[in-house]
Amino acid sequence: MMVLGGIGFTAPWILAALAALPILWLILRAVPPAPIRRRFPGVALLLGLTDDETVSDRTPWWLLLLRMLAVAAIILGLAGPVLNPEAEQAESSGPLLFVLDGSWAGATRWPQQTEAISAQLTRAGRLSRPVGFLVLTKPETPVFQSADVWRNRLAGIRPAPWQPTEATLGRAAEAVGQIGDFDTLWFSDGLAYEGREAFLTALQSRGTVEAYQTAANVLAMTPPQYDSGAIQLRALRVAGGEAREITIQAQGRDPAGNARILASVPATFDAGTTEAEAALSLPSELRARIARFDIAGQRSAGATALTDDGLQRREVALISSRESREGLELLSPLHYIEQALAPTADLIKGGLDDVIPANPDVIVLADVATLSEAESAPLAEWIENGGMLVRFAGPRVAASDISRIDEAPLMPVRLRAGGRSVGGAMSWGEPKSLAPFNDTSPFFGLAIPDDVTVSAQVMAQPDPTLASRVIASLSDGTPLVTRKAIGQGQVVLFHVTATAEWSTLPLSGLFVEMMERLAVSSATASADAQSLEGTTWTPLRVLDGFGTLEDAGTLPGVDGVALVTADTGPLMPPGVYGSGERRLARNVVSADTILTPVTWPAGVPVRGLAVAPEQPIAGWLLSLAVLILMADVVASLSLSGRLLSRSNAALVIAVIAFTLPVDVRAQDAEEEFALNATSEIVLAHVITGDQQLDETAFAGLQGLSDTLFFRTSVEPAMPMSIDLENDELAFFPILYWPVTPNQPRPSDEAYAKLNDYLRTGGLILFDTRDADIANFGASSPNGRKLQELAAPLDIPPLEPLPADHVLTRTFYLLSDFPGRHIGRDVWVEAAPPDAEQIEGMPFRNLNDGVTPVVIGGNDWASAWAVTNNGAPLLPIGRGFSGERQRELAYRFGVNLVMHVLTGNYKSDQVHVPALLDRLGQ
Amino acid sequence: MIQPLTLRARAEEQAERLPALLARAEHLAGAVLLGAHGRRRAGMGDDFWQYRPAQLGDSRRMVDHRRSAMGDNEYVREREWQIAQSVMLWVDQGASMRFTSDKGLPEKIDRARVLGLALSILLVRGGERVGLTGTALPPRSGRPQIDRLAALLNEDDAADYAPPEHRAMVPHARAVFISDFMGDLSGVQTALTKAADRGVRGVLCHLLDPSEEAFPFSGRTIFESVGGTISHETLKANDLKGRYLERLAARKAELQDLCALTGWRYGLHHTDATAQTGLLWLYGALDTRSGVAA
Repeated sequence: MMVLGGIGFTAPWILAALAALPILWLILRAVPPAPIRRRFPGVALLLGLTDDETVSDRTPWWLLLLRMLAVAAIILGLAGPVLNPEAEQAESSGPLLFVLDGSWAGATRWPQQTEAISAQLTRAGRLSRPVGFLVLTKPETPVFQSADVWRNRLAGIRPAPWQPTEATLGRAAEAVGQIGDFDTLWFSDGLAYEGREAFLTALQSRGTVEAYQTAANVLAMTPPQYDSGAIQLRALRVAGGEAREITIQAQGRDPAGNARILASVPATFDAGTTEAEAALSLPSELRARIARFDIAGQRSAGATALTDDGLQRREVALISSRESREGLELLSPLHYIEQALAPTADLIKGGLDDVIPANPDVIVLADVATLSEAESAPLAEWIENGGMLVRFAGPRVAASDISRIDEAPLMPVRLRAGGRSVGGAMSWGEPKSLAPFNDTSPFFGLAIPDDVTVSAQVMAQPDPTLASRVIASLSDGTPLVTRKAIGQGQVVLFHVTATAEWSTLPLSGLFVEMMERLAVSSATASADAQSLEGTTWTPLRVLDGFGTLEDAGTLPGVDGVALVTADTGPLMPPGVYGSGERRLARNVVSADTILTPVTWPAGVPVRGLAVAPEQPIAGWLLSLAVLILMADVVASLSLSGRLLSRSNAALVIAVIAFTLPVDVRAQDAEEEFALNATSEIVLAHVITGDQQLDETAFAGLQGLSDTLFFRTSVEPAMPMSIDLENDELAFFPILYWPVTPNQPRPSDEAYAKLNDYLRTGGLILFDTRDADIANFGASSPNGRKLQELAAPLDIPPLEPLPADHVLTRTFYLLSDFPGRHIGRDVWVEAAPPDAEQIEGMPFRNLNDGVTPVVIGGNDWASAWAVTNNGAPLLPIGRGFSGERQRELAYRFGVNLVMHVLTGNYKSDQVHVPALLDRLGQ
Repeated sequence: MIQPLTLRARAEEQAERLPALLARAEHLAGAVLLGAHGRRRAGMGDDFWQYRPAQLGDSRRMVDHRRSAMGDNEYVREREWQIAQSVMLWVDQGASMRFTSDKGLPEKIDRARVLGLALSILLVRGGERVGLTGTALPPRSGRPQIDRLAALLNEDDAADYAPPEHRAMVPHARAVFISDFMGDLSGVQTALTKAADRGVRGVLCHLLDPSEEAFPFSGRTIFESVGGTISHETLKANDLKGRYLERLAARKAELQDLCALTGWRYGLHHTDATAQTGLLWLYGALDTRSGVAA
């Protein structure tokens, strides 16, 4: 392949043909364009006329140039031009090792990276180099195979949600050590990590190393913190650079259970900084729904921050037996527990019957002995459904008979009467300290301060179940905290008071930690190793490298300390871990992570991932040549005068017309519609969607039009069917609207048009076609539909058509208005209240204008309907009386159209006798 | 080739639109052939002949209301057929007439035939005698003559440019020549001078296609006559336009001069104009008394 100016040619020798172009120029120039033969009688007048220029009419230079260009394009196209020809690789045929960081940092750009790898595989395949792969996050001994094999397996290589560590690099170096010399292509994710340099040196000792790395910045999210009423979010990026705004999205499930973005907040990296912060304040209901935060547009585990209990503030209801008296706050049974919970939980106070409907997570009963039936029943139900009841003992519990003989349902154990007091003034012995927590206890691992002593407690009755219910005990083995599961919830009893009266426990830090362990409160700060001592956490849902949460399956549990201290890796993937009620999220990036950009030594060439693939452009050039030749056709025709003969011009115009946007045709259709509707009077009906009804309406209007044509000076053209949504209404004097229960309700725009139509003098004839059996109430489906259809219309008050209405005499004198039915009332606009009959006048002077609506139910269209040859379409009534009824229906139609077209003209006519009378006098 | 029947029908259509034409005989006296009615005078006026009772088929406009009002019967006032004039028609049937520049326009020969026959129908309806120049169809009156005319007008001439037929001209008759006059003008000159010698006066209808007036050509072109006998090649047709138009104007002027000399009338008609305008002009030109300019 020869490369000229960035374009390679696969067959460069064809370019030699370009040298022939000047010769072609001369030849083409010498040949004049071919003449046209024309029949022309006037040739007799031309005889003897000579051309002014003796030189023959040569092809103009620009036409020649055009043809030269076409020929040049063809030659270039045939020479096989290729855009972005690959620079020739060093002709090495040794094995090639692809080293991939394979961490979350590259996940967002993984498709580009895969593409780049694929391009390199293609080249390696062309050179028949054996190819091996080494993914540093999951190192295995590379197996050198042909590039085609690897190409098929490429899609299976996925980024891991952790970074390569020294350990994995050590294994990688070991794996590399087992194979011979090779060249290396290192696809880096852009993040530096421990031990890279050493591994690079090891690779360089085996062959050449080339690095591929995206120019895009790596973004990451640190775990969200809940602080001062808002969720504090922090995003990191590897390199400073210019200011950039990102959007942090809170993902979770909405109440319907669909995953969606619950909230989003922008955060800005200032120029040169690598941190962006944002605060998000959400109601606790919504906050509890958030499963994770991620950065819009990023698709990596690092840009995803999972949430855990740290964001969730439990609602705790505190209930004590005594109303706290003013000034005795330190003696309040709830004081210490309030102090312990206030920073991490939302506290609710009130009566038991008030707080249960609020469905708190925890209810604390401090020294409450007896509960009424009305209280205990809903409380028990609440516990069954997952509530947690924490009870504290106290003088009242000790004095009461609760759970004395039988175990009370809301107590974990039976109690002995009176309790006991140790180490007091009146008793022997020292106050008791706490025994170390058993490893089945949720408190296991908590350090017990020495100064925690218990001087009084309520005693549990020895029971077969007692041992399993004790989760903390005193040094003498008596239970201090007992627990019982009820349904999905549990009851926990502290055998001491919630105040410092019976023990110093509420004064110590241990009390707070115990609350945390019981998930009464939730830790706000990220859990530290100490507080997790002795716990085991099982992964519930884990992240993959792309930041997708997956079910953890059967992954083994993790020690609590390791969960916060150890690096993430195959044994401990990032994800959500659970222990009992508690949830802890292990994120890829922790709060103190610093992202370091990778630096390559000077000897390693670094390339971007953007591959400009080889692009043959022969097709383009040949197409260009064809285009030029087509232009040449047009130019030649115009030169020889053959282009714009009249038929050709019509063709050209037709072509242009067809290539113009459809709008023109739409406009034409609109124009045609307007012309059809306005060149003659046209009656119209509304399309209801019921085909048979629409056809009947159309036939009816045709029959009416014919009748009008024969009998009156109104000569309508063919009726039209009107789509209320799209067609202009203003052209039609009258709209016939048959009502059917299942026609769609017109859109708001259509109603706006209809109201406009009514206001500007249009008339709508509503026909419920049900013989008015419902009297326009809602008892017939058509009547209901009519009410629904007409509700948004701007219709004046109506009345049954009065006997002296102008509609009774605009053309025929009518007293009733039958259609297919002989209904009773036809409703029209009500007469003004001041209309009075003048003495000597047969009629009142009613409305000045045309009634905007006429409503009836006589199914007039069926009576009017005619077939194409003018015969009645539908039978009406029986025999002659039926025909009479049809005739009256026609007369009504004629009167109606006359009324629309002439208004109150006939009303005025009734004054004529009076006027003549007056003139005569 | 146009069917005689359709030609006749279309000509009738054209002719229907004008009232009957009574060609005025210029030379009332002398060697004119008598018409169907002699010069009997009724005494009430030059033109009046008689009232006759209206018959079935008479149009309402023919009823003379002044006379009819005197009684219960309706009368038709008939004029005297004073002189039947002979009109001789020459329609150029040469190949050059079989040309049209656009599909939407009729060929020149088509227009010429329609005009000629329509005029004939008018004349026959007016009682005139119509025939073709030459010996093929001497002037006669009556409807059958129209049929014969239609048949003869439908014959095509193979020659490119046909000279006017000037033989057997009836003295003191009138003549109508319809042609594009693209051929040699000497034939026209001969015919006209000969006609003038015999006292025959008439009308030259110069029928041209719009392209022959506009010469809308450009580029290298070989122009051929319709018959193919003459051709002319040019490299730049648009350069010829000016000179062609000059020559055409000169030709028109020459024809006009010729007409002025011989007492004929000259008219120009284009195929893109309606046939009606052509017929109207011909009608008027034939109707004009001698010496009165139209």
